[in-house]
Amino acid sequence: MSSETGETGTAFNLFDAEERVLASATELEHRLADADPGIRQGVAALTEAYSRSVREQRRLVKVSDRLQHQLATLNQELGRRRAEAEEALDRLKEAQETLVQAEKLASLGALVGGVAHEINTPVGIALSCASHLADATSDLQRLFAADDIGIDDFERFLATAADTSRLIMANCERAADLIGSFKQVAVDRTSSERRRFDLAGSIAETLTSLTPRLRQEGHKVEIVCPPGIDVDGYPGALSQILVNLAMNSVTHGYDPGQAGIVRITAALTEDDMVRLVYSDDGKGIPEEHRNRIFDPFFTTRRGSGGTGLGLHIVYNLATGPLQGSLSLDNLPAQAGTRFTLIFPRQIARAP
Amino acid sequence: MDNLKIPATERSPDVDFDFAAGRLSLRGESYPEDASTVFGPIFAVLEPFLDNAENRDIRFDFELIYFNSSSAKALMNMFQMMENAAGRGVRLEVNWYFAPDDETMKEFGEDFAEDLKSVTFNLVATTPS
Repeated sequence: MSSETGETGTAFNLFDAEERVLASATELEHRLADADPGIRQGVAALTEAYSRSVREQRRLVKVSDRLQHQLATLNQELGRRRAEAEEALDRLKEAQETLVQAEKLASLGALVGGVAHEINTPVGIALSCASHLADATSDLQRLFAADDIGIDDFERFLATAADTSRLIMANCERAADLIGSFKQVAVDRTSSERRRFDLAGSIAETLTSLTPRLRQEGHKVEIVCPPGIDVDGYPGALSQILVNLAMNSVTHGYDPGQAGIVRITAALTEDDMVRLVYSDDGKGIPEEHRNRIFDPFFTTRRGSGGTGLGLHIVYNLATGPLQGSLSLDNLPAQAGTRFTLIFPRQIARAP
Repeated sequence: MDNLKIPATERSPDVDFDFAAGRLSLRGESYPEDASTVFGPIFAVLEPFLDNAENRDIRFDFELIYFNSSSAKALMNMFQMMENAAGRGVRLEVNWYFAPDDETMKEFGEDFAEDLKSVTFNLVATTPS
């Protein structure tokens, strides 16, 4: 293979055939030196046109090569960037998962705190009653030992014993009830087990565990839920949703020292769905934040310990395990905050 | 004649010419900065081989995923060379492989086949792995 131009410095020439055709065309023109001028001009014009065409081909191949080269480079770059972005997304999801778990544990911690506070009251009363009874008993023993016991003393002791034992029993029963309900809430919260439960009871138990925190600020809770709504689903998810919503009301809805009312209204709809409306009468959520409240990591309190995951978890629980929907209702400014949660009373078998 | 084996690089195809067996193949991508670096060595051995391959059975497999314009031009030249050899009595069979979803690569094969009269040209859809 011979190359007349030798442009690449090797024997290889992409346009070898075309160059040979051009060389023989020039040769042909020489041999036509004596031919009719019309034929000579015609051949010369054809050679010129072919030569232009080959030059154009070379140019197009060069331009096209360059573009394809750039495209390949860009594609590689794109692939690299995408791999990086995917890796970053994976890491982010992992971090998010970790934070969600941490948030769940933190709310469980708050629950335990609430439990401790709530049980403290009946246990404290029972303890002081028991102590009072012990004092009265030792007083009576002393009088008895000194053989100085009167009818009045004995009657007073009997009254004290009756009062204190009644109070001890009532408060121990109260404590036992509380422990029982907390135990259920805690089990539900930590396990994601599905079971049948009474809606009103579950709401009441959850809110009871929050009472200390709410009462501390002077907030009141109103629950309106007809008895006997038998839900087949995930009580833990529902409980977590209510806790997070209530904690949000306490944290964001009211100024310090301002007391409000948190309302939970639940009812069964005609198509066997549970419609639960949660509302507070606090400051409400500013217009510009309403679209973003369910986004992960959206918080207005980053500096003071907010993770921005509370409502994200609520949303995921509502749409995930509960197979329902959650929406923030559009209320006028300063009219409080209201969420509507709708989920099937009986969830589908495979969530 | 020595066989020619050049492993693929990021921008050049795998070359495997087994002259003794009459089995040649080009596989992979081809968009080199300078077409002569890839096709120079190929033409340098292919031309003398085809010149002396009368009455032999030669099979050439092309399994290309992507190539640029000068590679396309070089392939055209290669097919022209094979067509000439086939006209002289070399029994040449070309298998042009393309991925089933790669319409462009299939059309390239059809274009090349159009100029071939003496070479047996097969369009072969590869099975997706």
